[in-house]
Amino acid sequence: MRNFLKGLRPASLLAAALLFAAAAFAGGSQAQTGSPGAATPQETPPPPASPRSVNVPKPAERTLKNGLRVIVIENHATPLVGAQLMVKNGGEVDPAQLSGVADLTAELLTKGTKTRTAPQIAQEIEALGGVLSSGAGWDASRASVNVLASKTEPAVSILADVVRNPVFKEEEIERLRQQYLDNLSVGMNSPGQLASWVASRVVFGGNPYGHPVSGTPESIPRIKREDITSLHSTYYRPDNAVLVIGGDIKSDDAFKLAERLFGDWAKPSTPLPASQAKADAAAARQRVVVVDMPGAGQAAVVFARRGIARTDPEFYTGLVANSVLSGYSGRLNQEIRIKRGLSYGARSSLDTRRDVGPFVASAQTKNQSGAEVASLLVGELSRLSSEAVSEAELMPRKAVVIGNFGRTLETTEGMVAQVANLALYGLSLDEINRYIASVQAVTPAQIQKFAGSRLGATDAHIVVVGDAKEFIEPLRKQFPNVEVIRREELDLNTGAIRKSGGAAKQ
Amino acid sequence: MLRRTAVFLLLCALICASGRGASAQTRVPPINFKERTLPNGLVVYTAQERSSPTVAIQVWYKVGSKDDPDKRSGFAHLFEHLMFKSTKNMRDEMMDRLTEDVGGWNNASTSDDVTNYYEVVPSNYLETLLWAEADRMSTLNVTDKNFPSERDVVKEEFNSGVLAPPYGRLFYAIDKLSFEVHPYKRPTIGSKEDLDAATLEDVRAFHKTFYRPDNAVLIVVGDFEQAQLDAWVDKYFGKIPRPASSIPRVTVKEPERKAERRFSETGPNVPLPAVAITYLAPPVSSADADALRVAESILSNGESSRLYQSLVYSQQVAAEAFGSANLRQDAGLFVLGAILAGGKQPAEGERALLAELKKMQTEPVTKAELDKAVNQLVANALRERETNSGKAFAIGNAVIMQGDARRVNTDVERLQAVTAADVQRVMKKYFTDANRVVITYTGEAPKPAGAPGAGAQKEGSR
Repeated sequence: MRNFLKGLRPASLLAAALLFAAAAFAGGSQAQTGSPGAATPQETPPPPASPRSVNVPKPAERTLKNGLRVIVIENHATPLVGAQLMVKNGGEVDPAQLSGVADLTAELLTKGTKTRTAPQIAQEIEALGGVLSSGAGWDASRASVNVLASKTEPAVSILADVVRNPVFKEEEIERLRQQYLDNLSVGMNSPGQLASWVASRVVFGGNPYGHPVSGTPESIPRIKREDITSLHSTYYRPDNAVLVIGGDIKSDDAFKLAERLFGDWAKPSTPLPASQAKADAAAARQRVVVVDMPGAGQAAVVFARRGIARTDPEFYTGLVANSVLSGYSGRLNQEIRIKRGLSYGARSSLDTRRDVGPFVASAQTKNQSGAEVASLLVGELSRLSSEAVSEAELMPRKAVVIGNFGRTLETTEGMVAQVANLALYGLSLDEINRYIASVQAVTPAQIQKFAGSRLGATDAHIVVVGDAKEFIEPLRKQFPNVEVIRREELDLNTGAIRKSGGAAKQ
Repeated sequence: MLRRTAVFLLLCALICASGRGASAQTRVPPINFKERTLPNGLVVYTAQERSSPTVAIQVWYKVGSKDDPDKRSGFAHLFEHLMFKSTKNMRDEMMDRLTEDVGGWNNASTSDDVTNYYEVVPSNYLETLLWAEADRMSTLNVTDKNFPSERDVVKEEFNSGVLAPPYGRLFYAIDKLSFEVHPYKRPTIGSKEDLDAATLEDVRAFHKTFYRPDNAVLIVVGDFEQAQLDAWVDKYFGKIPRPASSIPRVTVKEPERKAERRFSETGPNVPLPAVAITYLAPPVSSADADALRVAESILSNGESSRLYQSLVYSQQVAAEAFGSANLRQDAGLFVLGAILAGGKQPAEGERALLAELKKMQTEPVTKAELDKAVNQLVANALRERETNSGKAFAIGNAVIMQGDARRVNTDVERLQAVTAADVQRVMKKYFTDANRVVITYTGEAPKPAGAPGAGAQKEGSR
């Protein structure tokens, strides 16, 4: 595989054609630099033809009497239907001592209802050719089904049952608890995963986005059944949920189905709890953290800092700025992989949430190159704010954003996810139609300003997980304040990230 | 990791290519492809699909890691990376300019039997990409300047896939320990020593030997005019000469296994032990392949599958259990395995896996299980074929792996025809004691408590 940055799921794109006509043929003209000694003249790549225009599908929506918002997107190209029931809270409502309870709760939905055992649920849905999954992320918990269109009704009936009638049997909680602990033990031994968990704690400290959404080895054993049932009764209610149905189904049929399966889902009389995500604007001290994992096959190097919220007016500027850095031909991969061969892939992500989410740039490299890669990440973030991106560089990076967007709209699942995300943050569904123009409107000056104020290196953190003896000396020269934590001393339960008693080794 | 990714993709594609009109109500719409062969031997499959203004272009070369030169394991895959470097008419990474920069994407993958290159672009760039694919088929120009850094990238790919993940070394070992003589025993990612030994001369020779029109299949699916497309294909690919030399083919046959063989592997930072069991399986073209694929689905597809229900759910002996019919052009493997649950040992996982196989041999699977397997295969096929790219992959797998493009539209009937007796028969035929290789995988002994964190590890990256 040449690279893993791009989705393995084959897809195509909608809109780029519309926007990048003949003039946008970046690169083609640069191909004509001479090839000395060529026996025949170089060829010029044939230019593009004129583009075809596209239609973005239009969602329809209704709100049921109990407050459940229902959104339907018809797409009859393939006989598949996807449905997602989204609850508008996730890991950010985990109590401080109970990291992972929202995710565990969501996973347990499919592990038994009043009328079906866990094996029955799996058996019934898979007999339909369906895939049922559930889990919590930040700001939302989701249960989703994807199924042959002819089996929509029985499949969405099971979806409704697992969301409304889970029983959270002790036996299933214990089974899942052990699976979580097993998975955590694997994650604690994977440099990339561990670096990502540590980075969240370093950026958000003890605030809600700081903990691993799937819990910690200490928090998972603490979770009791009543913590789970309490979370379920507090947040899983129709006026805190959105049902999105997409694919080969008529809107009217989808609305009727929603009414029949969710119309009598009672809305509690208690008010909805207020949102708890507070990313805490107070600037944490800048930290450089090394987690020493002797024998690690690579060093995972992460640059992390606070980014922006989804509803930030600079959202599209952020998207495009991130695209200048990330993607196969983004600056990070250019500098770290393509020019220097230091990694199989470097990338960044601007994870926008209800409150300020993280911006993360990362790469895995051989242990000996850990310090060099850290320096390159910092250098690229600094460069983005110190000099303006040229139009020639910017145009293709916008095309990447637009192409990716178009591809997500092309599959049933992608379309449902895109619409559900807008609904989660209370944004107009019409934003789908403005997306491309909003990306196009971003200017180099906006990106430079955004990079300085929102992506700057000076108030960012560095995390490196790997075999420390291989990179600690050069890293310490660059960052004299580096903290070294042995993996056994690591504590993901607090912003300190070190078990009490362990002396700081600087 | 690469190896697992590559194998998994192939597997998925095989399954996906097979789901066809199985359930009474839902049919997988046929892919209406056209086939033609140019005078130079290039075979071209095209399917018009106008629902989005995009087009998928793929070139599949009949060369894979089984064709790695002697003492050059990993070379076919390293070469795949170099196909994105300069040609006579394109500078380094220009394929990215022609795809990514206009809102499209590209990638490539290498497996044991085949190397494929694929991209999706706005359909008005179709001619440009046909020109570019023809150009790198005929005028690749790898230099001292671009070769070493790309080799370093591949070594980092090795680190990312084999050394960094806790179970990377186990998956790396499976083919090595499962084949005795067939070149399938070489991991697709290769070894660092062999990657270091590769030269520019090897690169040129490999391109000359295998990258030629009579060893390639071009697939185009999406928004195009048929006559225009045919003319472009003639214009850009038609002029590439067919070499007079013959194409070398692997003729080695893996011998039948005579007795169970057992191996134990270790790695650093392995939190839970694991076990993998392999059985030598027939080629993908074998009449037994369909029954093995249905058996695979019943064993391992979803949480209602037998392995999940038994090992993960009921016995709680495994954190994860898997079974896959990893069929290839020549003898392949049926691989089963488990990452053990906390506190469990490989022997317990092995016993539980073997017990499930025994059940499949002694009792026929149920009608409900057969129906479920077919519905899952149909739905998987539909999910893959939502996009032009997915349709192109389905055609490519039918052509290259199953040897007949028409299989893309007929395969599900074959799967539907599989009976419980067929499944029981292949389970008895292939899953014998003598045909078994067992690999256990455990963590290296931990350092004594309180030891400094910097102890040298046997297999650390260096």
